[in-house]
Amino acid sequence: MTRAVTAVVAVAGLAIAAYLTIVHYAGGEPVCAVAHGCATVQQSAYAELAGVPVALLGLAGYVAILVSLAREGEAWRTATAFLALAGFGFSAWLTYVEVVRLDAICIWCVGSAACMTLLAGLSVARVLSAPPPGLRA
Amino acid sequence: MSTQPSLTKRQLRERRRAERVAAQRAGAAAAARRTRGRRLLAAAGLAVLVAGVAVLASSSGGTPGAAAPPARTATLFDGIPERDGVLGDPAAPLTVTEYVDLQCPGCAVAARETLPALVRDYVRTGKVKLEVRTLQFIGPDSVRAARVAAGAERQGRLWPFLEAFYAAQRRENSGYVTDGFLRSVAAASRVDAGAALRAADGAAAQERLDRANADAQTLGIDSTPTFTVARGDGRPRVVAAGAQDPAALATALDAELPR
Repeated sequence: MTRAVTAVVAVAGLAIAAYLTIVHYAGGEPVCAVAHGCATVQQSAYAELAGVPVALLGLAGYVAILVSLAREGEAWRTATAFLALAGFGFSAWLTYVEVVRLDAICIWCVGSAACMTLLAGLSVARVLSAPPPGLRA
Repeated sequence: MSTQPSLTKRQLRERRRAERVAAQRAGAAAAARRTRGRRLLAAAGLAVLVAGVAVLASSSGGTPGAAAPPARTATLFDGIPERDGVLGDPAAPLTVTEYVDLQCPGCAVAARETLPALVRDYVRTGKVKLEVRTLQFIGPDSVRAARVAAGAERQGRLWPFLEAFYAAQRRENSGYVTDGFLRSVAAASRVDAGAALRAADGAAAQERLDRANADAQTLGIDSTPTFTVARGDGRPRVVAAGAQDPAALATALDAELPR
């Protein structure tokens, strides 16, 4: 059950990251219906990391999470938790940048940060709640 | 007298074996939990390390060592009258006001990609006069930049100053808006740097900042760049937010122009 919910959240995050990546390379602006700082965030110095769009990094992160979810075993569950925790940490920084440094909110970025937060919690819970090896039916 | 029935040797052996197996399983489960906990801690530690490196790269990255201001700004505004920060014919039927923060990267994009067509097709042709409101929400560098821009306005060189500033814009709130930086921007835009810096601390500059903030609040503007348009002395309304495709802005302006 935890695995299914985790996969659903990861797919939602993947969709958001894919949209932001397409917008980045198309040179347009994200549709910004709720808050109106998407263009500011998307065009800020923080939209790229070492020349790579952070939206693309997010996309790669969600793909990696989904791949690790598709595999069985303790090591893969731990890998999912690692990816989600790293993504959560970086998303938290980007949210801080939006609020404090740019004073502009990109609702898509907030959505992705929420997905990463959920994924971090779910993936850690999945590791902790898995039955010990050798005791499964 | 014991009520428990006596066990046969075989039953005793089986019971001891079951207890031994249960103890082994419990031990194995405890060891597995400890291993899992250590793995999870290691994963979390590695995640903190990776995220920390990414944060460091992000916070020190961006546009380090951005280009110095150009020796002289382009001729976009040459020959267009500017009075009290209003660019163009004072009798133009439409007033377009751009809300900016000088540190806002989107505003620099708008200056490069949206303003040239707006100035060429609407300001030079007398259809539009252009105003600007310099907001200061990004940080302290924005405040200093907006104040000195107000000083440039008093010399009738606000728009060239803004253009030169955007051309030299660096990472937000990195402390780059020093007097030296502002002097180089002033030099590039043919503004008297000393006079602009002195005026930056005056009441007129403060009035410009207060007016910008008050107008933005009245119109509910909370991001930059945002463009408003007003017919004659009419109430301005927001027509575009974000760096705009010039064609989209032209369509909005054409709809407002008297037929």
